[in-house]
Amino acid sequence: MTEVKVKKESTDPVDIENRIKELCLQFPHGITDQVIQNDMPHVEVQQRAMAINRLLSVGQLDLLKNSNGLLYRLKDAQSASKVKGSDNQEKLVYQIIEDAGNKGIWTRDIRYKSNLPLTEINKILKNLESKKLIKAVKSVAASKKKVYMLYNLQPDRSVTGGAWYSDQDFESEFVEVLNQQCFKFLQSKAEAARDSKQSPMVQRNSSFATSHEVWKYICELGISKVDLSMEDIETILNTLIFDGKVEMTIIAAKEGTVGSVDGQMKLYRGVNPIIQPTGLVKIPCGLCPVFDDCHEGGEISPSNCVYMAEWLDF
Amino acid sequence: MTAQEVRLCGLLLQEHFGDVVEKVGTHLIRSGVLTLRALAHETKLPLDLVKKSLCVLMQHGMCAFGAGRRGPAGPVEYHIICEHILHMLRYPRYIYTAKSLYGDTGELIVEEILQRGQMTMSSTVKTVADRLTHNMPEGQSMDYSEVVSAFSRLVETHFLQRCPPMASAGSSSSEAVNTPLPVVTQPTKPEDHPECYRLPYINLTGQGKRRRSSEDGEAEQRAAKKTKTDNSERGDEGIYWQVNFQRFHLHFRDQAIISAVSCKLDQTSSEIVRTMLRMSEVTTPAHAAFTQALSANEIFRALPFSYNIARPILDQYLTLLVNDPMEFVGRTGDSGGGMYVVNLHRALANLARATLESVVQERFGSRSARIFRLLLRKRHLEQKQVEDFAMVPAKEAKDMLYTLLSENLVQLQEIPKTPDYAPSRTFYLYTVNQLPTARLLLQHCYKTVGNLIERRLYETKENKRLLEKSQQIEAILASLQATGAEAAQLTEVEEMITAPERQQLESLQHHINKLDSSENQVDETIFLLESYINSTQAPP
Repeated sequence: MTEVKVKKESTDPVDIENRIKELCLQFPHGITDQVIQNDMPHVEVQQRAMAINRLLSVGQLDLLKNSNGLLYRLKDAQSASKVKGSDNQEKLVYQIIEDAGNKGIWTRDIRYKSNLPLTEINKILKNLESKKLIKAVKSVAASKKKVYMLYNLQPDRSVTGGAWYSDQDFESEFVEVLNQQCFKFLQSKAEAARDSKQSPMVQRNSSFATSHEVWKYICELGISKVDLSMEDIETILNTLIFDGKVEMTIIAAKEGTVGSVDGQMKLYRGVNPIIQPTGLVKIPCGLCPVFDDCHEGGEISPSNCVYMAEWLDF
Repeated sequence: MTAQEVRLCGLLLQEHFGDVVEKVGTHLIRSGVLTLRALAHETKLPLDLVKKSLCVLMQHGMCAFGAGRRGPAGPVEYHIICEHILHMLRYPRYIYTAKSLYGDTGELIVEEILQRGQMTMSSTVKTVADRLTHNMPEGQSMDYSEVVSAFSRLVETHFLQRCPPMASAGSSSSEAVNTPLPVVTQPTKPEDHPECYRLPYINLTGQGKRRRSSEDGEAEQRAAKKTKTDNSERGDEGIYWQVNFQRFHLHFRDQAIISAVSCKLDQTSSEIVRTMLRMSEVTTPAHAAFTQALSANEIFRALPFSYNIARPILDQYLTLLVNDPMEFVGRTGDSGGGMYVVNLHRALANLARATLESVVQERFGSRSARIFRLLLRKRHLEQKQVEDFAMVPAKEAKDMLYTLLSENLVQLQEIPKTPDYAPSRTFYLYTVNQLPTARLLLQHCYKTVGNLIERRLYETKENKRLLEKSQQIEAILASLQATGAEAAQLTEVEEMITAPERQQLESLQHHINKLDSSENQVDETIFLLESYINSTQAPP
């Protein structure tokens, strides 16, 4: 219960400001105008407004809006010092960028949120960048788009693309190398199981490898400069499934066992394709790029087909 | 009938039966159903030629007739059964299968029947025995009983069947009056006849006769006269036998499944599946989705001795087969140690899918094949998701997807967010439908085989002069040898063919062999795709 202190009639603006700051500290969620009025009923509206505006301009108070009205909150001392040297517009832009978190925000969105003209925005952004408060990160989705975020934040995965992108370039060779290494590991495991000549159940079970095992193997190989997580390895193994070289099963595993996620484990196993390359692709017509234009009596026809002539002489 | 199928049928008819039959046949395929008069009028051929061509086609089971649209009183209408013409591509495979199962005797029996279309048992046996005797060393000859036993084995396993009897119009026998002519749209199937696989009782003893080359002309005349009188003695006139194509197809399908299992798993599993399929060969209907349920006990008893698998090991193999993602074998019950079936339709779908994937892989590269398989698994995906799952850079993924789209192997599905299909507010999803893509590839296969046949005809035509010259030289050589000429004369004749011409002849031979064998290879693809498409259609 707040003690009703009978204060001296003090209309000192500094005192008012200090009082407001104390109130803010009491109510960290923010205080409304009503609360200030209740606390200092003798202070006139104008004086109050002036004090609040001064605190805002200095940057010690944050202005927020909620459904009931305006809220004033004490700003964090550290961040308050950071933007000390900048003016209102810059502070506004900085705030918008800060709110965007580690996904960053695009210039057009900054413009919408702050309603400032483009030239102003650009000037402010350049200013902030030189002060090393924000940085520009190129997005991997659209290579021309730049998003801005606070200087010390790590860009989110969706922006940089994760482990497979280095400098906005998709690392195809890296993915290919990982692909082949995983496949070789699984294939050698399957062959070892087949040669062991035990009962078929045991053979099959030993030809399986969990995703955790594959992850450990790849980490130990040391071909990756970047740290790869188990999900990354699982995406690589999925591409092997889509290549038709590997199949996957999911089994239930106890929570505590290594490599289990939510009580399940994924097992991978190298397989052979079920048919040989089909008959149609053994002749030039199956692979011909002008197949649809070929008619008897036309420019391209079976009788004068160059591909067939070469193939027949092979 | 699609355009490609009609073209291929035309080429096959021309090659096997000549121009007149080809003209009649293609015209009848295009028109559907025609009466004799209409057919003769439209093809502008004399009536008796048209009659003879229709007879040839009917002998081989490619043409059927029935009461026309005006009912039994009106003229008879004829129509072509296109599938039987396309089966002509597969004749070498049928003959090879018969050879591998029943030896040379079986091979020759099937070859004779395929050549003549329909034959009686006695004439088949005699012809085959004669041919076999011809190839044997002097003094030996083939006994009829061996050929008869091979024939009966072929009938027991349903590879040969009796031709359905034709109800003759207005005949004196009481049967014909009661059975009306079949309507055009519903021909009688051979299986409807209850005695389809019953061997007739014939009195056939003797041995094959060797044909001497000196008595060629006379012997043929005598043999021809003899066959006419012989038939009436043997007791099976009117009972004609034809090749049961469907049974051969089931056999090919089983072979494909067994080889797929042995590639995917191992040899022992494929032997188990082979045993299961063999046990249900004659009991499973042709269009069934599963074989009959077999208990593990039965399978264990039926396994060949050489494998020597213990009972618990067999159970393990069966469990592995059931748990395999390809789902070749399924478990339907627990009695008798577990009831197991072979999933025929699913196996065919898997084989067809592997065929599609292999075509995409060979034609467009392994990355496009990865995208294709991805779309087959995940059904509908956006462009961004395709790039993420396949781990392909965005530009390349876009390029590959558009190439596949232009070849119609991949389809685009639009899902609008707003009622106007504004491009920025619509989802575009890529998808692959297996069945339409299989049909598309099947048409490609037909066109390809047509191309191969045409190329072969072209090569032969180009070198006609050379071929004729070589034939003349061979004839001269043969006659010279027969009359006992000197070595010098023989070499002189041989040198009439120059060395480059000889080389050209060799390369021509090589080309034609290659084209022939590749026709068979494409036919394998055609068979897989056709079986898959037929299995998805409801049984008639």
